[in-house]
Amino acid sequence: MGFFLNNNTYESRLIIGSGKYKNFQETKDVLVASGAEIITVAIKRTNIGQDFNQKNLLDFIDPNEYKILPNTAGCFSSEDAIRISLIARELLGDNLIKLEVLQDQETLLPNESETLIAAKELVNLGFSIMVYTTDNVSLAKELETIGCVSVMPLASPIGSGKGIIDSSNIKKIIHNANVPIIVDAGIGTASDATIAMELGCDAVLLNSAIAMSKKPILMAEAMKHAVISGRKAYEAKRMRISEIAIPSSNKKDVLS
Amino acid sequence: MNIFINGEKFRVHENINLINILKDNNLNTKNIVIEINKVIITRDHWENMKINENDSIEIITAVGGG
Repeated sequence: MGFFLNNNTYESRLIIGSGKYKNFQETKDVLVASGAEIITVAIKRTNIGQDFNQKNLLDFIDPNEYKILPNTAGCFSSEDAIRISLIARELLGDNLIKLEVLQDQETLLPNESETLIAAKELVNLGFSIMVYTTDNVSLAKELETIGCVSVMPLASPIGSGKGIIDSSNIKKIIHNANVPIIVDAGIGTASDATIAMELGCDAVLLNSAIAMSKKPILMAEAMKHAVISGRKAYEAKRMRISEIAIPSSNKKDVLS
Repeated sequence: MNIFINGEKFRVHENINLINILKDNNLNTKNIVIEINKVIITRDHWENMKINENDSIEIITAVGGG
């Protein structure tokens, strides 16, 4: 049931983000409840006025137990994304990066041209790139061709919770791909995650859907089951949709 | 002389080095990366890294993000 990503096999097909939680303990509790093995982190300035003993996110999430996936969130140019990637590699000692280059602060949609430039450069620098992108089918293939280890089309805009806007594009991306396709951003609730998995995505990455729910730990559990359920349904191959009603029992056995 | 730490202006004495700055600011050095003028300074160079007027030091870590 697991999926293969960058020379590793992961049992859980749910990847969670670590943003917007009340505190680090809640982040950790959600991580455990979700069953996720991969968690994303952002790379930002430290608080220089803080207490020396104040805990860091990395004190709560053991890199030996979980795969910590740094992202380039907040980057609007390839130059900034490359800079953050190099810092992340220095911090975590790992080449795996979630590349995210955005168009603008308002839409937070991926900047396709800058993403492509950054991806090419980072491949040359030896990074293993999981790339956040639009649901542009040809761009997804191009990102795979230049060497990205996973392509991550959005379901809908970051933090919107609108679910998958265009499932036909996601399906085409999956159909053409030879690397894991992970829907990233826009998942709002458990059924959205299930739909993504039923389409044939290898995994789902989400953050706000759990963090912004009223009960994050409960929603983390819901997402865990939603992803498992969606994957099983995908593997089971759903029944054909019929335009007419078809009885479940045999007509000839009906009492007359 | 003036320097910048995470975008904030600081006044420090001449001949200061990076490790003094970290100690003066009571910074926990676990889980951080340091850049000076957008160049990463690897940990083994912190001790002897001299700081110059108007240097921009960035002290960076992992935070919550999706």
